Amino acid sequence: MLGRFSTFAGTVAWRGLRRPWFFSEVLAHMWVTSVRCLLPVVAVTLPFGMVISLQGLEIFRLFGAERLLSSLVSVAVLRELSPMLASVLVAAQGGSSVAAELGAMRIKEELDATEIMAVDSIKYHVVPRVLALTLACPLLNVAGSVAGLTGAWFTAVVLKGESSGVFLAGLWDLTAPIDVGAGVLKTIIFGAVIGLVAAWHGFHVKGGAAGVGRAVNDTVVHSVLVFIVFNYFITSALFGAAST
Amino acid sequence: MWDFFGALRRHGVPASRIVAEAYAIGIRSLPILLVISGFVGTNLALQGYNAFKPLGGQRLVGMFVALAGVRELAPTIAAAMVAAKAGTEMASQIAVMRLREQIDALEVMAVNPLAWLVAPRLFAILLVMPALTIIAIFTMTSSAYAVAVFQLGLNGQTFLAFAADGVEQIDFFYGVVKALLFGVIICTVSCWYGFRAGKGPEGVGQATNGAVVTAAVVCVCLNYFVSELLYGGSLP
Repeated sequence: MLGRFSTFAGTVAWRGLRRPWFFSEVLAHMWVTSVRCLLPVVAVTLPFGMVISLQGLEIFRLFGAERLLSSLVSVAVLRELSPMLASVLVAAQGGSSVAAELGAMRIKEELDATEIMAVDSIKYHVVPRVLALTLACPLLNVAGSVAGLTGAWFTAVVLKGESSGVFLAGLWDLTAPIDVGAGVLKTIIFGAVIGLVAAWHGFHVKGGAAGVGRAVNDTVVHSVLVFIVFNYFITSALFGAAST
Repeated sequence: MWDFFGALRRHGVPASRIVAEAYAIGIRSLPILLVISGFVGTNLALQGYNAFKPLGGQRLVGMFVALAGVRELAPTIAAAMVAAKAGTEMASQIAVMRLREQIDALEVMAVNPLAWLVAPRLFAILLVMPALTIIAIFTMTSSAYAVAVFQLGLNGQTFLAFAADGVEQIDFFYGVVKALLFGVIICTVSCWYGFRAGKGPEGVGQATNGAVVTAAVVCVCLNYFVSELLYGGSLP
């Protein structure tokens, strides 16, 4: 199965690199994915930022070190939480709808019809969707980072009465704008993983409507599984090595 | 709604179906939950170490992992994974039943479809969610321990001592409360999406898609309010 998946991924990459390119398709899918995922991503990262702020404040108040809160929140949000949560939500919303669309096309034999009209179905249907997910994921990560930090600021300053100036001043103590770049790099990889897994499951649907449901299910589970494992190694490479 | 409770009182829910659903939800969500919570634990340790290192507080990693893991991440991750695995399965199963008019057939046989299809899943998810959350807590902490000791070279004893300092027994109980709440939400949201699925393969796909997204979003949003209530200082 891993071998067949690799072959599929290789085919998608190879055909994606060669002309003709369907840029308008990519943009259309990207727009749809970003719009569909934006609300879930923000709706998850915002409360998560608020929770970190809440829990962090409680700990730091024990030590009287409330001013450290925003530094740690920005480490947590920018490096881990926002890339991870944004990718989970892109897998759940964007990836699963790609699998559902391609699966429904397979069941209705629309993919076969495309092939008969001498249009390469991988090139026309699969490549734009994979590319769109790969490009939308970092955008949504940036939105998620902003939302997470806003949530943390809201809890600390508005609800818990910390000083806004101290919070904003400490924000970049432990992180640099390069961390946002690391998050973007991570999410590009995660987005590609999600896109390929979703396309693979959707493209190879069997067994009618129930098969589409199964493909969607497998897409979410497998893509989250794969990119969380990737996440550990990327984090080790980016931050673990730098610290020693 | 009242029909649902009426039917429940009249017929009850057969224990064998609850057990079957609990197996389907719990055992089949377990492998992915183990892997995910394991790797979340490793990252927690890595990032905690990097965050505390400039302050000279590497010893605090254990406390950080235990607090973040037990209080927030384990219940949320368990909920997200059950929503992704079991919730999508519920939604697509019920959507396929709707598509094949099996739900209409149940109604024709004077069986309340809500009581027959939703109730066993609801009880089953209430049964397994706390267990899955506790398992996630231990997987997360042990993988964080492994990373802290073997990759980062921290002292294992210190890690454990600070971890034990960080959490209290009541935190585990609160984790279970959260898990039960998330279980109810996952089950109702997924079944609701399944019941109102549109026609055809797209309908099933969209129902499955909507179920996992809505369940995850509602769980995380609710998590904030529960945390605020439990840890925000409003309780003694």
